[in-house]
Amino acid sequence: MKKKKMIISSQTMELDVVRKVEALSGTSVRRCFQCGKCSAGCPMATFMEHPPNRIVRLLQLGQWQRILAGRSIWYCASCETCSTRCPNKVHLASIMDALRKLSWDAEGPSKESYVQLANRLFLENIRSYGRQYEMRLAAVFNVKSGQFLKDLMLGPKLISKGKLKMFHQKNRNMAEIEKIFSRIEEMRKKGEAL
Amino acid sequence: MDKTLNYAYYPGCSLHASAGEYDLSTRELFNLLGVGLTEVPDWFCCGATPAHNVDELLSLSLCAKNLELAEQVDGDVAVACAACFSRLKFTQHTLLEDETKRRQVEKAIDAPARLDGKVKHLLEILARDIGLERLASAVSKPLSGVKVACYYGCLLTRPPDVPNLDCVEAPTIMERVVEAAGAETVPWSHRMECCGANFTLSRPGVVIQLSNAILDSAKSSGADCVVVACPLCHGNLDMRQKEIEGVYNAEYGLPVFYITQLLAVACGAGAEKSGLGALMVDPFPLLKVKNIL
Repeated sequence: MKKKKMIISSQTMELDVVRKVEALSGTSVRRCFQCGKCSAGCPMATFMEHPPNRIVRLLQLGQWQRILAGRSIWYCASCETCSTRCPNKVHLASIMDALRKLSWDAEGPSKESYVQLANRLFLENIRSYGRQYEMRLAAVFNVKSGQFLKDLMLGPKLISKGKLKMFHQKNRNMAEIEKIFSRIEEMRKKGEAL
Repeated sequence: MDKTLNYAYYPGCSLHASAGEYDLSTRELFNLLGVGLTEVPDWFCCGATPAHNVDELLSLSLCAKNLELAEQVDGDVAVACAACFSRLKFTQHTLLEDETKRRQVEKAIDAPARLDGKVKHLLEILARDIGLERLASAVSKPLSGVKVACYYGCLLTRPPDVPNLDCVEAPTIMERVVEAAGAETVPWSHRMECCGANFTLSRPGVVIQLSNAILDSAKSSGADCVVVACPLCHGNLDMRQKEIEGVYNAEYGLPVFYITQLLAVACGAGAEKSGLGALMVDPFPLLKVKNIL
């Protein structure tokens, strides 16, 4: 670590980013006093370069770009353990959602691409079919991530057990789902929603 | 048929695909208990974890739409999947607390948000609405001598104030239901830990590591099998068990049942209607040794 004097002010804190995260998550970033209970209970901390409590600290210090560039937020499993145990009622799992949205909207400055790819395919399935289509999810993921052999041995077994359906279920009311997607896009274009 | 007890059933995507045995056994169990279950017409995907991960407004809107669709059926909403349950409860909770988000969601679905309907997980329907006594009296093949590790995972109870299913850190609802069917439950360390959930697609290495710890804990506690109430937990513990055993050079051989499968068997549904054939870790040797099948 470089020894450098640090000045904390509303500018260095980048209060507008903090406020945006607070609006999206409906919880306070500023209330965290770094007790570390969130990281102690986090099952995914071992896979992260910044454990959960440090994510909040970086946010408090205006260093949100470091968070978005890293992979930690994409390794959060949304297990809600942090939010459950926080003594200050900081809903950290929702802060993670808000940070992922910022990263997502900035079109992925993060190194972690597999989790983002899986999310994208999942959402595409909802828009195209109204329900999940697991076969497409797995197949397209393998092709797009270049892991053609991933879980190859599992596939035939799952099919024989009736667990992997060749054909998709489709909702009869697809126009309705498309309207939900497009109304949200419209609201965002007009600046009526984050 | 108990006319007073009918539910608007929201199965969710998994139950119509990889978790077909959860759907089958749920319908069979409710049938044996004489409780009505009517599927919500034209339900949509709730968005699960990927939607709220990157777009909370989309997640809330999809769930609000489903809550609206559920109003077409009489009765409380019955949910089997822990993730769908969590998302529907989160939506009700968030929209009641946050006026801005509620207005945005109502604009997205072009309808008022219906937030006063009761959303219930199958566990609370079994333990509270139907009741443990009625459940116990329907049991014709008690699961005597079967030691069960009840696995809750993340979303059935966490976070506080949202699912309100049971105590957030030390629930007992699943144990009480399983014991009503005559089985024995074991105390163990990992019943509330995360299995790695949807990383099974993007980063299976995560699942292998986390689910190994869960299987290891269940095995060390002396359990014969694990019981779950979530399709993702099931996928990770059952479908990936063989792979986990290979990576960690371990031998678990733990059948993983959906809660409704075990109860359906206890109520005399038989192997086929309980969907036992779909399980990857063979449950038949255990059930035969214990004289249940």
